[in-house]
Amino acid sequence: MTTAPRIVTVRQNILKDNDRVAADNRRTFQDAGVRAINLVSSPGAGKTALLERTLQDLQGQIGMAVAVGDLATENDAARLRQWGAQAEQIVTGTICHLDASMVQAVLPRFELAALDVLFLENVGNLVCPASYDLGEAARAVLISTTEGEDKPLKYPTMFNTADVVVITKMDIAEAVEFDSALCRENIDRARPGVQVIELSSKKGSGLDAWYSFVRGLPLP
Amino acid sequence: MHEASIALSLIGVATETLHEHGGERVTALTVRIGQWSAVVPEALQAAFPAAAQGTPLQGARLSIVPVPGVGACPTHGPVELQLALGLRCPVCDLPTPTLLQGDELELDELELE
Repeated sequence: MTTAPRIVTVRQNILKDNDRVAADNRRTFQDAGVRAINLVSSPGAGKTALLERTLQDLQGQIGMAVAVGDLATENDAARLRQWGAQAEQIVTGTICHLDASMVQAVLPRFELAALDVLFLENVGNLVCPASYDLGEAARAVLISTTEGEDKPLKYPTMFNTADVVVITKMDIAEAVEFDSALCRENIDRARPGVQVIELSSKKGSGLDAWYSFVRGLPLP
Repeated sequence: MHEASIALSLIGVATETLHEHGGERVTALTVRIGQWSAVVPEALQAAFPAAAQGTPLQGARLSIVPVPGVGACPTHGPVELQLALGLRCPVCDLPTPTLLQGDELELDELELE
């Protein structure tokens, strides 16, 4: 038995355990026929407001539920429950993102077979959630008109993982002098070719495109 | 700031490999961190010693190799990307939709005893 140091080549993904659990989740969703959508954005971009509107508008048309992550409080889940859908809070404590295990742990609380769509509302944060696959079918990255058009280039990893980018709060775009063309150019730099939806959860504009995405249909 | 979580995952993968090779402790390790991985090398370096306390990696020397982003330009082939430009060829500004490298979050090598 030697105690001399040995060099071992590993070449393994540091997050391989998360990716393995995410693959399990993905299989669970597929088997149950549920489309899981991971929503990410900075705090206050309007994830919960968009979900409230969605639950309200699509109620009775498709089966929906939400698992929502936050560092503390049950407030978001309570907001979402008032629209009649099941909403389960995942309190992450000091952790700034959802990971695949946290999602897996909450899944037994849902009757997945009765659902068409499960929203995974991530912790408000444009950095950390980027690295963690949850097993979702699609990832929606939200950016609001109040945030600054260069955000996609400041957080390139997050935008680079988007299946769709949603620009929220379009009803106040003019008041905050939001430059849509510039924002779209920066989004396209971060994720060439990605589809962009401009909407207002409050006034209802642009929601048809969002609902197509939610249902997994091609965007109009 | 998820570098503490990343450090814990790193220690998990390293400990698993250590046990597979019948070693007692890890004295040094090298990781490759892509520029497009959303992990800040300095923050990972800072988070690592505390995360390694009480594990077989306590006191191990962590080397971080940053990996620049490389995209495939239709005209210029593989080109090194600049974060401020996004996925665009720095020469001709054409989109380079695929990241050939730069999203790594990888444990490359361990030194065991």
